[in-house]
Amino acid sequence: MGKSFDLSLVLDFVPELLRYLHITLIVLGGSIVLGLVGGVLLAVPRLYRIPVLSQLATLYVSFMRGTPILIKLFLVYYGLPELLKPIGVDLSRTDPLVFVIVTYALSDAASFAEIFRGAVRSVDKGQTEAAYAAGLTTFQSFRRIVVPQALIVAFPNMANTLIGSLKDTSLAFSIGVMDMVGRGQTLISATSHALEVYISLSIVYYVIVIVLEKGFALAERRLQRHERKKEVRGPAVRAERLKRIAG
Amino acid sequence: MSIDFNFIYTSFFQILKALPLTLVITIVPLIAGFGVGLVTALIRIYKVPWVYRIADFYVSFFRGTPMLMHLFLIYYGIPLIIDKLAARYGWTFQSSSIPILVFVLFAFSLTAGAYMSEIIRSGILAVDTGQMEAAHAVGMSTSQALRRIILPQAIGAVLPNLCSMFVGFLHGSTLAFTVSQMDILGKADVVASVSLKFLEAFIAAALIYWGLTVIAERITALLERRVAVYSKGGVS
Amino acid sequence: MISLTNIHKSFGQQEVLKGIDLTVEQGDVVAILGPSGSGKTTLLRCVNFLEHADEGKVQISGLTVDCKHARKHDIVQLRRKTAMVFQHYNLFKHKTVLDNVTEGLIIAQKMSKADARERALRVLEQVGLSAKINEYPSMLSGGQQQRVGIARALALNPEVILFDEPTSALDPELVGEVLSVIRSIAQEGITMIVVTHEMGFAREVANRVVFMDGGSVVEEGTPEEVFMRPKQERTRQFLSRYSSDWSYVI
Repeated sequence: MGKSFDLSLVLDFVPELLRYLHITLIVLGGSIVLGLVGGVLLAVPRLYRIPVLSQLATLYVSFMRGTPILIKLFLVYYGLPELLKPIGVDLSRTDPLVFVIVTYALSDAASFAEIFRGAVRSVDKGQTEAAYAAGLTTFQSFRRIVVPQALIVAFPNMANTLIGSLKDTSLAFSIGVMDMVGRGQTLISATSHALEVYISLSIVYYVIVIVLEKGFALAERRLQRHERKKEVRGPAVRAERLKRIAG
Repeated sequence: MSIDFNFIYTSFFQILKALPLTLVITIVPLIAGFGVGLVTALIRIYKVPWVYRIADFYVSFFRGTPMLMHLFLIYYGIPLIIDKLAARYGWTFQSSSIPILVFVLFAFSLTAGAYMSEIIRSGILAVDTGQMEAAHAVGMSTSQALRRIILPQAIGAVLPNLCSMFVGFLHGSTLAFTVSQMDILGKADVVASVSLKFLEAFIAAALIYWGLTVIAERITALLERRVAVYSKGGVS
Repeated sequence: MISLTNIHKSFGQQEVLKGIDLTVEQGDVVAILGPSGSGKTTLLRCVNFLEHADEGKVQISGLTVDCKHARKHDIVQLRRKTAMVFQHYNLFKHKTVLDNVTEGLIIAQKMSKADARERALRVLEQVGLSAKINEYPSMLSGGQQQRVGIARALALNPEVILFDEPTSALDPELVGEVLSVIRSIAQEGITMIVVTHEMGFAREVANRVVFMDGGSVVEEGTPEEVFMRPKQERTRQFLSRYSSDWSYVI
């Protein structure tokens, strides 16, 4: 029933899809930035054990990490207008892009909150004690001693969250956002070459992800320059290690 | 704000009826993926000539692209291949007679295989190199050592990830909705379209997923505690 | 100039410090000895409020802080008069050796970067680590790290330096280098309170020894008095557990 498979179409589709890359990046960028802020706000009550706020934060994080992205998209899409109606805000003509960014930001905030919490707790308490003993205040110690070390621990996880979020943006089309996948859908309706469209889309995502991963790996290595004493796992060393393990 | 809380309650049980399908879509790929992942991990570690390049690409591609793409690539790609082969070899078999669920399970199994492969591979690498040396010293062959000493310890690396894998694929099962499967999300959508109470229906669905996630987290915590009794802090 | 009065501290049900009084004059080198669980480390940490005593008073050259009603501001002021050398060094992992020493000077004492650097270089030379100022702690041996810790404490120019088992975490062959640094500081007249297991060191360097057991001070006096002529049975029992090559010195 479909027309015959045409590989050259894959190449034709890629530039067409890339025209909508900026939408995907706006969604990603907006949600990550807002998510970082939200993550800090959520992590602080739990780290400092502030009553009530800490429990609410825990509940929020649990819910966000316990529900699928699609559900969250629909909840925000149908729920946000309902929520804002009593204060007279009319969202009936809002670009679905807004709902998408809100959804992903809320979701990323929960992921970042968990990452921050774990990272701060992983910093040896002795570091803080030494800072206090040298006369630093709580805030100074946190900012200058704990946070820099926590960020190094958090960084790889944050990078993974970002890449995961990028992949999740592929679902934005389900509430009508015209991003790359959305454009892909219209291309399918126009040409009926669904397979080619999805191959093109996959290639685009794959390339972006690889670029991001390489970038993050470089950044990680720079961040960890104060730990260079550890054995450098270069390819030669890795190969040697593999031989010894695998026999 | 007008939310019909009663409807959330009633639709909850209606939607719950789709739970078996959701669980199938979650668990079958995890099991199949484990098998695929194990084989792939070994291929990659032992660098089986030529094949390991395919394995590397497979893992890299499936981890580097959205799960939605996997679903659509399989959904549109496999029928094409099958029909071409059917035409060539004169099968009476038509791709349209394959239930969509099969494509869903196949696609997700490939996804799971890629992620599992990474986990298992790093689990094997994390095993102390001395273990293989000791196994050889005791007289075991490499494959015996693998089976009895290395892999059991590497599998220990999988367990902590089991929870996040299960939750990840539980949430991923909702993608089946896009190919008209009647999973929890699909059922919620039907209930919503019929009653026009979209928000309430999706709230009910959200609660179901949240509940399942929390249950999964509790169970793995229990399992981890029991395993930890005789493992004393990790693999290496 | 440093006095601890009636220090009480409990962890949950267990009372770890049962009303300790201690006075330290300027220039004293006080060694606190005792079995594990005697409370000696807790006592030390109460001086700079890394542990908050439940009851009692801490006074350091004029500044008195009531442990029960200690205000944050007072605690910070108190800490600025002290410095600590930790059992596990606790060097700031993400900073170079030089930055480790200047951190407290610049941030807490609000010194200029130039002055801080100058002072840091001086103390690092004193402990023999001028060659390592731009290295990170992870690249140094345990003994070197601890010497940096001592330099960090010295640089702060405190009224008293608190040593929490400074050599306990070190490999045996590295203990010597750290002890000799501590010895040389003591000879300069710096006030020190040292919690330690190194009996020989305590005997040689300290001018006062305090023996603690079960949360109270059992005996105190000069090293001669405590090591050679212990008055309490518990003290004698504790000392006899250690190989006594010094007890044959007449």
